[in-house]
Amino acid sequence: MAAVNGYQGNTPADPPASNGSKQPAAPTKTVDSQSVLKRLQSELMGLMMGGGPGISAFPEEDNIFCWKGTITGSKDTVFEGTEYRLSLSFSNDYPFKPPKVKFETCCFHPNVDVYGNICLDILQDKWSSAYDVRTILLSIQSLLGEPNISSPLNTQAAQLWSNQEEYRKMVEKLYKPPSA
Amino acid sequence: MKVKILQWHAVASWTWDAQDETCGICRMAFDGCCPDCKLPGDDCPLIWGACNHAFHLHCILKWVNSQTSQAHCPMCRREWQFKE
Repeated sequence: MAAVNGYQGNTPADPPASNGSKQPAAPTKTVDSQSVLKRLQSELMGLMMGGGPGISAFPEEDNIFCWKGTITGSKDTVFEGTEYRLSLSFSNDYPFKPPKVKFETCCFHPNVDVYGNICLDILQDKWSSAYDVRTILLSIQSLLGEPNISSPLNTQAAQLWSNQEEYRKMVEKLYKPPSA
Repeated sequence: MKVKILQWHAVASWTWDAQDETCGICRMAFDGCCPDCKLPGDDCPLIWGACNHAFHLHCILKWVNSQTSQAHCPMCRREWQFKE
């Protein structure tokens, strides 16, 4: 804990040496990737303390710059009961630039293409450095139930959206649980 | 009675006068410093925007400089302007 939030608590005057042994351990890292590392570590800590209902995320083995996330379809939407895996890849510019986020589980949705690319403004021009893994996943989760029909990546899904009953059948037909 | 002080050892604590505890950009404590600095204090100050959101000066400068057009406050999306 101390290595992540070295100064949290009431002792801002502590010498930096108390910041743990982590710092000298990675002398080859640039300053930039070091600060990304710190931020991702504190996000991970927050998510492990409780991310929120229906979302979870964890770094891939030995690479904290690549995460796998899962979201579940919200209740009372056509995606209820389904679960989707996503990949998040962070650059050295994070959080000043958004991570690359893709669906790894096939998702029949107006704003998701067949390769899993997502069309969502906050992952592009509406990105803010105040967003994090948790809020990204929550945004994608709410995008599931509230698609933007006017600029679809999947036109078939966009056209079918008005017929929720048929849409649900299509979701069930195309759904492959992510554990496979 | 006369008391003669031979030696004394003063201890003070300080804190930034911000409403939040952590910087919304780097997620580090305001009483700490931004991830690029080693020591908290005047070398890694806080700065307020016209919208009253506070950040580490170094963090908000990085954000403003990373934007190709007019920068917005990361918290409320208002046009970013440093508070007078």
